Parts: sequence; structure tokens; C-alpha cells
Amino acid sequence: MQPEEKERDRQRFKGIRRMILVRVLLLPFLIVMVVFGTVIYYFGTNLKSRVFSELVLIAGDHRRLIEQFLGERVANLKFAAAAYGIDEFEGDERLSQVLRDLQESSRAFFDLGVFDEQGNHVAYAGPYDLKGKNYAESEWFRAVRERGVYISDVFLGYRKFPHFVIAVKRKNGPSASYLRATIDTQFFNDLVESVRVGRTGEAYLVNGSGMLQTRRRSGGALMDVDPDHGLYRSAESEIFSFVARDRTGIRYVNATGKLPLTTDWLLVVRQETREAYAPLYRVWVIGTAMILAGGGLVVLMAFLLASSQARQLVLSAREKRQLGNQLIMAGKFAELGEMSVGIAHEINNPLQVIKAEQTLMSDLLGEVESAEGVDKTSVEMIRDSIRQVGIQIDRCKQITQGLLSFARKSDAVLKPIDLASFLPEMVRMVEQKARLENVSILHEVDPELPHLSSDPTQLQQVMLNLLNNALYALRKRENGEIRIAASREDGSLDISVADNGCGIDPEIMDKIFLPFFTTKPVGQGTGLGLSTIYGIVERLGGRILVNSEENVGTVFTVRLPLPATT
Amino acid sequence: MSHVKLLLVDDEERFLSTTRILLEKRHVENIKTATNGADALKILRKERIDVVVLDVRMPGMDGVEVLRRVKQEHPLVEVIMLTGHAAVESAVEGLKLGAFDYVMKPIDIPDLLVKIEEAYGKKKAHDEKIRAAKVSEIISHPMAVFSDNQED
Repeated sequence: MQPEEKERDRQRFKGIRRMILVRVLLLPFLIVMVVFGTVIYYFGTNLKSRVFSELVLIAGDHRRLIEQFLGERVANLKFAAAAYGIDEFEGDERLSQVLRDLQESSRAFFDLGVFDEQGNHVAYAGPYDLKGKNYAESEWFRAVRERGVYISDVFLGYRKFPHFVIAVKRKNGPSASYLRATIDTQFFNDLVESVRVGRTGEAYLVNGSGMLQTRRRSGGALMDVDPDHGLYRSAESEIFSFVARDRTGIRYVNATGKLPLTTDWLLVVRQETREAYAPLYRVWVIGTAMILAGGGLVVLMAFLLASSQARQLVLSAREKRQLGNQLIMAGKFAELGEMSVGIAHEINNPLQVIKAEQTLMSDLLGEVESAEGVDKTSVEMIRDSIRQVGIQIDRCKQITQGLLSFARKSDAVLKPIDLASFLPEMVRMVEQKARLENVSILHEVDPELPHLSSDPTQLQQVMLNLLNNALYALRKRENGEIRIAASREDGSLDISVADNGCGIDPEIMDKIFLPFFTTKPVGQGTGLGLSTIYGIVERLGGRILVNSEENVGTVFTVRLPLPATT
Repeated sequence: MSHVKLLLVDDEERFLSTTRILLEKRHVENIKTATNGADALKILRKERIDVVVLDVRMPGMDGVEVLRRVKQEHPLVEVIMLTGHAAVESAVEGLKLGAFDYVMKPIDIPDLLVKIEEAYGKKKAHDEKIRAAKVSEIISHPMAVFSDNQED
């Protein structure tokens, strides 16, 4: 095959493979992606809404817990205030007793103080010395005077320590007194923090201006301002949930809700999305891995499949092309055959006349020669000339006979042929000539070979032609050798004639079967031998294959079909 | 040899004349020629001919057709076919139709002469048998000669 043809085949192969790959892979790939996307989307949405509602639930419970705690503490204080008159608290001893009573109901009470209408600290029970201080200007005091009950934000106050207080008002006729309790910061913090959602879940309180009212596990001490408090949304009693990125760049799922009783405290329960959405991420990773691995496998399989398909297609295209060439060849042969017959017969007629004339001349010359006074040398020259005419007529005759046998379309007379005896017989027919040329002929025929069903006369012509060609290729060579072999291929028998002679020039390889193509010197060959046996073998249903290398040798293989029954 | 009555049939006139000379030089004296099948059949009806040398390929009526007619009308006449190629269908067909033999073109005069000789020998032997049969018939039924002499 020509290199450019090979290149063209390679290009065609690539093109077909690409086309198959695109068609085979594109649609399934799109479908898988859509399915995967849909699954991830619905799974994700579902999971997110579940995470949200769970967080809202937790936040709601927790808010209720804190609310309950604060409500109970207010009730404790109110009860204490109602049970004892302000005057009764005046003695610190008595107040300490009340504090102990309160602490019995909750350890959250840290200290206790009583204030008169002017905000003077009249009695105190607790670890600090705060008695006598005036709180008239304190925010909490002003608030409790107005509202009767007040829960303060966390502040530093006189003790320079963050804390918050619960204060209640007790009316004594026209005047009033106030009972104030400080809540144990540690205790309250523990209570608020007690929510545990996963590893990163946390709960904390901020006031209206964003100041942390409890510690925050992820960073932020009491009274720090939460930089993200702008994100928190709140309504009267509803709990909001949302996803937001905080200042440090971590995304959180948040649930926020206002705490009643307090002025504007906001409960925040939040969890890092990374953790909250972990199942989703896991599914995403697993799914992607599966798609990549499965897709890789599919792509590999498709690639292999497409390659083999494309190879097949290219191969069949090539076969088709070759078949086309063969058909053209066969067509050419048929045309040439018809033409040859015409030419041969047309030439035969004048040739016959010439031959007759030549014979007559030769006869007449004999008579003239015997007459007297004739120049003997001239007669000899004329005789030579006449003989030459005879030789040339014979040459023409050979050509016309060749043409006619090339075009002969006689039906094959099929007979069983045993190659084990047939081939040696062929060898015997050329043995004499081979001995003269100093060529040895070897034949290796398996006696077990099935019998062929073919035309022995025509096959003989084929074999003799091939043997003569081989002998010609070996002329004037030393160690000339011809090997004849027969072997069984599936459904056919191969008879090969191999010589180690001059070989066939690749340039003329595609011409060797053409009629009148010959490498022999003028007058020594008609160029009809191979074309004739090509025709014969085709008619016998077989093929002739040639394999040749210059100066190494040539192998002609005649492939004949075996009868279907064997 | 010399007594054979020969008819040469070929569409090439020059071939006929030259071949006639060549054969006459080889002592074949009674030679008729025809350039086509129709003329050949006419001559056969008029003359007594022993051997016909007949070209297979001729314009008009071809050799095989002429052969068929000759054999129909004159079964005892021997025919040698001139063919372009050995074992060509027409030659084989000719043999099937009763031709004596075939000679390949271009013909070699000595070869042709041998074939003519053989054909004439066969014809003579045939004639001899028939004559012997007739003679014995005449001897046994002399009167039959008068009622049955439309054949030569």
C-alpha cells in the first residue's frame, strides 16, 4: 500500500473514532450529569431544610429554657420581695438569710441588695462591699422604677466585673423599695452554652447593640461586640434561620430569636455549614468520585469500542476499494479478452496467406536453384530470408495463440485432483529444463491434503507457467532453487511456487498480470502468461497472490477453494 | 494420394490460389475452391468431392454451419476444419458434428497434406465398404438397381 494511502486511512480511522466517541459518549454523559445534578440538588435542598428546621427547633427549645430560667428567677425575687417588707431586709443578717433561701431554689443567685426610693443601697448580702452606694443614676435603677421588673444587660458596675442583675420593685404605700439580685455569670453562661449541636454548634446571647451577653465558644468574651451582629435578624417571637459568612470567612447556619423578658437580647444558635452540610458534601464527593471512576471506565470502554469499530470500518472500506479495483481489473480483462480474440483472428487470416506465400516461395526457390546459371550465394540469401519470414510468422502465431488462450472462456471441467501426485507430475515436466539451468526443485506436499475439485488441464497450464517463470527468474544463477508447497488454509488450498531468483521490481508489481506486459527481451515472451493464468485461476474461483523482494526471490501463491463438503 | 478430390473453402482468395499451387506441386491434382459456404455447397452438389478443407471463421455462413449442411447432404465427405485456435469451442463442436480433424492457422502445408491423406484414406475405406455392400446387394437382388439408383 502507498504511504499516502496509509496516511489517509489513518486520518479516516481517527475521524470515525472521534465521531463514534462523540455519539456514544455525549448523550449518556449529559443524562448522567443531569441525573446527578438533580439528585444532588434535591438531596441538598432537603438536607438544608432539615438542617434549618432542626436548628430552629433546637433554638426554640433553648430559648424556652433560658426564658424559663429568667422567669423563675424573677418569680423568686418577686416572692422574696413580697414575703419580706423592705424594713425587714434592713438587717444584713436577715438579708443573708433571704439570699440563702433564694440560693436554695437556684444557685444562680450571686448576691442580693435592697435599695430605697432614692437608689441608696440600704442592705446587701454577698461577697462585695457595696452598701451605701447610690444607684439613682444607674440605668437598671431607672428602668426598674419605671417597669417594676428589670433584667439588665451585662455591665461592669462598681465591681468592675461583667455581670447582670435582676431587679424587682416592691410598693410600700406611697414609697417603694427595690430588691436586686446579681446572677452568677458562670452559672448563666453554662446554661446558655449548654446547647451542643455537633462539634461546631454553639449558642450565645447578644444584646441590641451587638454586645455579647454570654461567652462564645468560637471566640468572643463577655461584653465583646459581636462584629457580625448586623447579620442577625429577629422578629417578635419567631425564630429565623439563615446561612451567613462571618468576619473570619467561615460560613454558619444560624438560628436567631428574641428573648422575651429581657430588653432586647437575642439568642443565636449556629453551626458551621461545613459540619452541618457534611452529609451533603460526603454525598457530593462520593457521587463525583463514582462518576469520575465510572465515567473513566465508560470512556475507556467506549474508546476501545470506537477504535475497534473504526478499524473495522476502515478495513472494510479498504476491502471495498480493493474489491472495486479487482472489479475494474476484471472488467478490463473481459474487454481485453474480447478485443484480443478479434485481433487474433484478424491477424490469423493475413498470417495464413503470408505463410502460404512463404511456403510457395520456398518451393519455387528449390526449382530455381536446380536451373543452370544461377548465383548460388543469392539463392542462399533468399533462402535465409524466406526462413526468417517463416520464423517471424511463427512468432506472430505464438502471439495470436497466446491471445486466444488468454481470452479463452472454456468451461472448467472439474475433477478431483490429488495434489500429492499432481504436483510431482508438474515438476517432472520441467525437470529436464531445470537440470540444464542447474536449478533444484523441491516439493513438500502433505499427502493428507484433501483433494481439490478443479480443472486439471487448466491447473496444469497455471503450474507450468509459474514454474517456467521461476526458472526464468533463476537463469544464470547459482544455487537456484524452486520450492513448491501446498497447504491447507480454511476453506481453501494454497499452492505456492517460490524461487530465490531476481525478484520483481516493486515499480512494476501492479502491472505483472496485464496482458502484453513482459520483462523478457523482444521475441522471447508474449507477456500473456501471467494474464492468462490470472484469468484461469479467477475462473476456477481462486486467487493468485504475489510476494516478492528484489534479488531475494518471489513467491506466487495460488489459492483455490476446497469443495464445501470437505 | 493424387486421386483425392479436394475442395478448399476460405474467404481469402489469395490463400486459396496459393494453397492450390502448393498442393498441386505436391501432386494433389483435383482441387476446387470456394470463397464462401453457399458456393461450397453448390460445388458439392455438382461434383464428386472426397475431402473438404473448411475455414471456421467466414463472413456469412460460418464454417460450423457449412459443416452441418455438408454432413447432412453428403455424409461420406470428410471435412477438415481450419481454426484459429486449438481446442476452441467451434473446433470441438466441429468434431462433434462429424469433422474429421482440425488444423490450426496459419497452416503448415506438410501438416495439412498429412491430414488430407488420412481423411482420404478413411473416405476410400468407407466407399470401399459401401461398394462391396452394393455389389453384394446387386448380386443378390439384381433388379433392385433399377428401382433404387437415385443415389450416386
